[in-house]
This record gives sequence, structure tokens and C-alpha cells, in this order.
Amino acid sequence: MLRFWTTWLAALALATASPASAQDKVPADIDAWLKSAQLGPYNTNEDWNEVIRKAKAEGALVIYSSSSRMSKVAQWFMEVYPEIKVSAFDLGSTQTIEKTIREQDAKQYNADIVTTGGSGEIVHDMMKKHRIFNYVPKHFVDRIPRENREPLLVRVNEAVVFFYSGEAWPNEQPIKNIWELTLPKWKGRVGIKDPLDSGSLFMGVATYVQHKDEMAAAYKRMTGQDIKLSPGVPDAGHEWLYRLLKNDAIPNKSGPKLIAAAGTKGARNPMIAMSNMTHIAYNDEYGLVNKMLVDLDPVAKIVYPTYTAIARFAKHPNAAKLFTAYSLGSPELTKATKIEKPYDKGKSRDMLLGFAPFFDPGSVSPRSDVPLPPGGEAWDQMKGWIADPDYLWFESAKVRDFYIQHVSP
Amino acid sequence: MTTALTGRAPLVFALRRLGSRPEIILGAILTLVLGFLVITPLAEALRDAFTYQPYDLAYRRDAEVGAFTLFHFERIFTGQLSLALFYRPFLNSLIVGVGVTAIAIVVGTALAWLMIRTDLPGRSFFGFLAVVPYMMPSWVLALAWLSLFRNSRYGGGEGMVTYFFDIEPPNWFSYGMLPIVICLALHYYAYAFLLMGGAMESVDSELEEAGATSGISKFRRLILITVPLLLPALGSAIVMTFIRVLGTFGTPALLGLPVRFFTFSTQIYAALKSRNAGDGFVLALVLVVMAILFIQINSRIVGVRKSFVTLTGKGFRRRPVRLGGWRWPLVGMVSLFMVIVVAFPLMILAWESLMLKANDYSLGNLTLHFWIGGATESLQTGDPGILNNPRIHEALWNSLKLGISASIFNGLLGLLVGYAIVRGRGSLMAKALEAISFAPYIFPSIALGAIYIGIFAQSYGPIPALYGTFALLILITVVKNLPFTARTGVAAMHQIDKSLEETARVQGIGWFRRMWQIILPMSRSGVVAGMLLTFISAMRELSLIVLLVTPTTMVLPGLIYGYQEQNQPQHSGAVSLLLVIIIFIVNGLVRLTTGQSFSSRKKPDAERAERAVAH
Repeated sequence: MLRFWTTWLAALALATASPASAQDKVPADIDAWLKSAQLGPYNTNEDWNEVIRKAKAEGALVIYSSSSRMSKVAQWFMEVYPEIKVSAFDLGSTQTIEKTIREQDAKQYNADIVTTGGSGEIVHDMMKKHRIFNYVPKHFVDRIPRENREPLLVRVNEAVVFFYSGEAWPNEQPIKNIWELTLPKWKGRVGIKDPLDSGSLFMGVATYVQHKDEMAAAYKRMTGQDIKLSPGVPDAGHEWLYRLLKNDAIPNKSGPKLIAAAGTKGARNPMIAMSNMTHIAYNDEYGLVNKMLVDLDPVAKIVYPTYTAIARFAKHPNAAKLFTAYSLGSPELTKATKIEKPYDKGKSRDMLLGFAPFFDPGSVSPRSDVPLPPGGEAWDQMKGWIADPDYLWFESAKVRDFYIQHVSP
Repeated sequence: MTTALTGRAPLVFALRRLGSRPEIILGAILTLVLGFLVITPLAEALRDAFTYQPYDLAYRRDAEVGAFTLFHFERIFTGQLSLALFYRPFLNSLIVGVGVTAIAIVVGTALAWLMIRTDLPGRSFFGFLAVVPYMMPSWVLALAWLSLFRNSRYGGGEGMVTYFFDIEPPNWFSYGMLPIVICLALHYYAYAFLLMGGAMESVDSELEEAGATSGISKFRRLILITVPLLLPALGSAIVMTFIRVLGTFGTPALLGLPVRFFTFSTQIYAALKSRNAGDGFVLALVLVVMAILFIQINSRIVGVRKSFVTLTGKGFRRRPVRLGGWRWPLVGMVSLFMVIVVAFPLMILAWESLMLKANDYSLGNLTLHFWIGGATESLQTGDPGILNNPRIHEALWNSLKLGISASIFNGLLGLLVGYAIVRGRGSLMAKALEAISFAPYIFPSIALGAIYIGIFAQSYGPIPALYGTFALLILITVVKNLPFTARTGVAAMHQIDKSLEETARVQGIGWFRRMWQIILPMSRSGVVAGMLLTFISAMRELSLIVLLVTPTTMVLPGLIYGYQEQNQPQHSGAVSLLLVIIIFIVNGLVRLTTGQSFSSRKKPDAERAERAVAH
């Protein structure tokens, strides 16, 4: 009994006193693995046929993913490469990160590929601590803009946008400036997918807050005056969030319910809803009449990437490389390629490959040579900011606290 | 004295003595294993509460994660966030807790009295209906409330009241404190009903009659005899309801958020979801401390911590109270209550499951598509009807697996814990085991789930990393239900005279055979009751496992919650009904095969067991 407790206490003390790891230099054992896997600095002169050969020899692949659709991709991949047995774990974004970190800390290296959103944590808590490594297939480097492959490869980009009822405002947008949402006219009529519950929405809100100067400028464009900050509010970015919450904005845990609050036919007094752009697809499925604020000052969308990377000490690095390429779509795909429904069958699937399940309005390939999905063409017309891993890592606790403080009535 | 013996002798002697006291070995093993499962989470929570977490780096850039700090306590109790993070949610939770407990106790006790002590017509049928709300996830009532009363603030189509009567209910009626208290009270009254009902059943009316023959007035008999006998049960019901309400997440989340009404449990959930373990666990610890305080206060007032009425085997009589002219009015009132609390929510769920288009309550809109239809791309997300839906079949199978395996483990564990506690009564180990088996009770479900992620993401000696596995769901369900099954185990064991087992031992019958042939049969009814309780709560529990389920280990309550989040009322309605039906069937089967049940409390078949042992 006593022994049990002493052991336990010792373990506790050890865990409590874990030292801050040196973050810059790659430790020798990891470096050796990088070399054998030809990753990181050792990924030169990639011979794709050699990668395929080795991948088949490895025979297996383990994916930790935030998306349930990865299991479909895994299945298709196995049809093409029956030699490789793929296990895709659909864990959701928080748990993908949590599980990888906890397992690696316990020296269990199960995952080969980690693909999830959550920019701050992925870059700072994982990449910078050598838990995952960036990998971009050589033959795709030129087709992917730098911001989509550095510091980590983006598997798919999505965005937080604003929806309104196309029935109530058939001809023009109800608002043109984001500050209008803080006016009495919209009191209790702005819905937000709960940022405390949804990582993507939090990134959306925080990124608006981050761009304080642009927000101040947008305010001036709307009112002609400089913004006056409320007591205790540090800058124009926070001021926008503060006023939005004071204007009785309504959080909702359910994205689909929220955008139904904006786009239900015949609804009295419909809301403007801040949610994920992919929800535009519900127009067809639920018979909604939503439109997006395409022209919004200062920007209409906040882009949040889902990254994909290869995990430390991955046992199947070549299979992971092969799968990474597969999830980016066929190299033959160009902007002019005609993609027709259903995307997950026949010729469309042959072109889109692992991207097919994500070929939805509101989701965008990191490649510059992939056409936008029908219904999502507005993406290119919408000005946007990209969620900033550094800001999110260092400041999101404060933004979240600010939100918690002012959402409380 | 031992000095006279050789070095080895005391050891041998001690071992031999231990061999004759199996409850000590058993107790030691159980204390160790359960101690790990129960104390580790508490220690883990304490550690995270008192050390820097990655979340805090925004404020303390140079702080070392894991270093000791009181930062979270300052933040939560004195900082500028404290009002939003702690005091307001605390007050809200307190008011909700007191309100729900008061209503639930009054309603549950009144119903129990009517069903058990009176000649109310149809009381066994009502008794069966009265526990139905307990079989549904507690937030199903909240969903029904929203279907009825949501207004345009919620958006996305109007509720039934607006649809049929064209009146918009005000916000204070549709969301927030009032509906949360009502919905939770109408779920949790089942505890008071069951506990008070059990106590009332075992009050021998001979005691009251003795009072009557001594010339004590009816009212004084109630105060002097009946109430003291019921007090322990009342105390347990209050404690149980209050603590459960504090830890509940679904209903406050659904009904509170539209008006930005936050409670303790929603704040804990938000903190843990943001990977802010420090705040989350400080808040969770406040809940734990509150629960302990509450139990202390209760035991002070009630005087005895728990009291079990032992089966005496003597003539046991109960004389029903004649309701006279009140009979039929009371039948009417009880029927009305059952219609509102049981039939109505189920009907709303059934109706929603039959609507082709959500929020269109006209008859022409009815369809069986969401029960028996195939995948239709144009309808919602193209999910097939629930009887053809592989996702639902898988979740159903998972739920059954979870319910059945957890109840088997719990039944066994409850029995063993009860045995070790009762036989080892008075020893330090028995006390420790009793305390440990009670401890999961004070953990808010959601916090226990969060801590288990942390603990079981890595392997511990022979225990592999269980994170993401089904075994972890079973484990946490077993641990969370341990207080209930341990109690039924203790109660059952109290009823078995030690001399029976001793007789068997004298005849040289080994421990395992004694357990199998004497203890198990005699305590069967208590064990079965505990297992049924575990089964039902495992089938419908969400808060406990919401952070632990993965898509491959999805269970029915998680699926229902997912469907309502995805705004698929037809599917969430249909699956909720499915869940209730399954619990009904299992309850019925258990009742048929063992004569035990949740709603009709027959006396345990101890007599038969006694006969069996006597031969």
C-alpha cells in the first residue's frame, strides 16, 4: 500500500517537474530518423517511384485526423495500393492533437500522419517541438503557393464567413461594413457559432480582433470618425468584439441550427450568422436561402487551414508521403478540368483522388491549379485574412478570456 | 509475545490468519485498484489546478509549464474574470440546484406516497410510468421544451406554440433559468421517487399502529414515527439530486446559451474544450468541495450517515391509507402529470421523427422516411432512416455492449466491495474502501471524463494506453456507477447473516464456493437492482463520456446529441425513442426473469435464498 503511494508520488513529482524542452535543435535520435525517412533537411532528390516501392514494402499507415471523411479517402487509397493497410482514426481536432502529444510523451509512436486544424497549437506545440514534420511532395511544390506549404502543408483551406437571408435581402447585402453589426438595428440579431465550443470560429473571431488597425480604419470608413474605445478595452479589434457582445449577439453550439436562423424561408426577423463557409451546402440539403456577405469591409472571410504533416518517428514514412500526395489530388488536375457530380465516383474521383470528399463549397484545395467547387465560387471574390499561428498561440488565451468576460450578461 | 517465536513463524501465522479472512485480501486488492482509478483523477486535477498550463503562457510568458502556482485561483476567485468565470455561474448553479432539488423532492415524495402508501387506483401502472423520465437522457426534455417554446431569438423556424397559436413566448420563458429548473426537476424527481418509495415500503406500519394504540394523534405519529424513519432516505435523495444537478451539462447548455446563461458545468466544459485544464479543474474542485460540504451538512442534520432497514423475516404489514373522496381527483392529477412529463415529450419526439420537413407540423408532412427510408441525397445530409442506418446500428450495438458489460462488472464489483466492507466492518481498510467507492459520486461527470483522457492516454505498467478504446468507456462507466452498486452491495450484504457463511466454512467449503453458492444467491436481488441501475445510466449517459467517445466508439446518446447539433430533429427524435424503447424492453425482461424491477419494488427473494442455504 505504502509502496503504491510512494511510487505514485514519485511519478507525480517527475511529471510535475518536466523541463522545458530545448526547441531549436533536433535531438540526435530524431535526426537519425529524419535521415532514414528522408524527411526535413534530408528530403532532397525525391525519387517518386522509390517512394512508392518503399511505401508498399512498409505495408501499413496510421492516420490521426480531425475529419470523419478521411476514412473514405483511406478506403480509396487502399483500392489503389492494396499492399498498404491504412487505419484512419477520426478523432476531432482537439483530440487529434491531445492524443498525439500524450502518446509521444509516453514514447508511443503510433501515428504516421497527423492532419487537423488548430493553427497555434499545431505550429507551436507540435511542429516547433519536433512532434510533426512538414512534408511537401516534390512534384507539387510549384503548384502550391508558399503560404499553403510553409511552415506546414495545408491539406484543405476553409473559412469563417457571415450568412444572411437571400429572401429578406434579395438584391443587395444587408450590411457592407463589419461594424454595422454593432449598431442597434442588429441588437439580438447576430448569431455566432459558439467560439468557446468551436476552434474554427474562435480563430475567426480572434483574427478580426488581431487586425486592430484595419478594424479601426474600417470604423472610420463607416462613420467618418476615429473610434472611441470603451473603458478597459485595449484596441479597435477588441472594441469590435466588445460592442458585438454588448449588442446581444447570440452564441449557438450548432452551426446548422445557427445558419437556419439566418436562412429559413419565411422567417420573421432573420439573423446574420457568423459560421463556417461550408454550411452554404445546407441551402440544398435543408432548403435554406442563405447568401454570404461577399463584399465586407475590412474582410469577408477568415481562412483557417487544416494541415497535414508526418509524425515524429513515424514507422511508415514513405506510405505517409504517398498518402499526402494522394490527398492533394491528381497531378493532371488543372483549373480547366471539368469536375462533375458525384465527385466521389468515376472520372471526378480519378482527378480529385483524396480531395474528392472535401470538394465542397467552402472548402478549397491548397493547390493553385484546382478549380473551385460549384457553389463556392465566391471564395475568390471575398477578401480575407489567414489565421495566424503565432498570434493564436501567444494571444488566444487573452482573447478567449476577453470573450468569456463580456459574453456573461 | 511474538518475540518467543522464530523469525518465520509470525509471517506464516499471519498468512494463515489472512487465509481465513478472505475479505481482508479482497479488500486490499479492491482498495488498491479502485484507489488508483479514483484517487489518481483527483490528484491529477489537483496537480493541474496548482501548476502552470500552456494556456497561462499568454499572461506569464516566461512561466514554466508544470511549475507550482496559484495563478488559476487568483484568476478565478479574485481577478477581473472572476465574475464571469466563477461568481455568476456559481450563483446560477446554486439557484438551479436548490430549485430543482426542492421541486424534485416534493414531486417525487408525493408520488411515492401515493403509489406505495395509499389505495390510489392504477398505482402500479403509474409507478411504472413515474420512472420513465429517468430512462431518457436528461436533456431530451430540454429538446422537447425547445420544440414547443422556442421563439425567433433562437431562429430557424418557430416552435409548436408559435406555429399553432401564433404567440411568441418571451425569452425568459423559452430559455434560461426557468426552463432549466423545470426540465431538470421533471427528470431528477425519479431519484426522490425511488429512494423515498423504497423507504416507505420498508416502514412497517405496525410501528405506526403501535403509536396509534398508544393514543398518539395522527399528526404526531407522522412527526414522531414516520418522518424519522424516512429521514435517511430523504437526506440521500436531496444529496443525490443536488450533486447530480450541479454536474449536469446537456440541459443548461441547450437552454442557457441562447440567453447567455452559464452554469458551473458549462464553464467547466468550455474550459476543458479550450485545453485550459487549469481553470477547468479549479472549477471542478469547487464542485467537489461543494459536494463534500453538502454531504457533511446532510449527515449532520439527518444524524445517521446511512441506515439500512434489515430484513427481519418477521410479519411485515402495510396498511394502505384510504384516500376516500380524494381518490378520483388524485387519479386525475397524477394522470395529467404523467401525460405532461412522460407521454407528451415522447409524443413530441415521435412527431418530430415523422416530419418530412422540420418545423412543418401539418398532417400532410408526415412520413416514415426517417425510420425506414434509404439514403436520399436531397433530404438533409442524406442519412438513411434509423432502421437502415449502419451508423445507428453500430452506435446501438456499442451502447448495448457498454450497458451490458458495465452492469456485469458493476454488479460483480458491487458485490465484492459490499462483502469486503461489511465483513471487514470496523477495520481501517473497510473504511478506506467505503470512502473510495463513494468518491466518484462527488466528481462531476464531465470533469471525470476529462481527467480520464489525461490519465489513460499513456500506459501504466500492465495497463495499456486506453485512450480512444471502448474499454475506457466501460471503465469510466463502471467507476462512475460504483457508488450506487457499492451501496446496493453493502445493503445486500447487511441482510446476510455472517453465521450462514461461517457454518459453511466450518464444513470446509472454500471461499469461491461460498461466494457462489451462498452469498451470490442471497444477494441476487440487490445485485440485479444495482446492475439495472448501471445499465440504464450507461445507456443514457452523455456528460461522462462526451469527451471520450470517438466515431468508432460512438454510442446512442452521443449520436442523439450529434443529430440535434446537426439540426436533424427527425433523427434525434427517432433515436431517442429507440433508446427509451430498448431500456423499456431490458427493464421488462429483467422484471420477467428475476422478479426485480426498477419501478415495482418487490421484496428481494431473500427468503428463498435462506431456504436454499438451510438445506
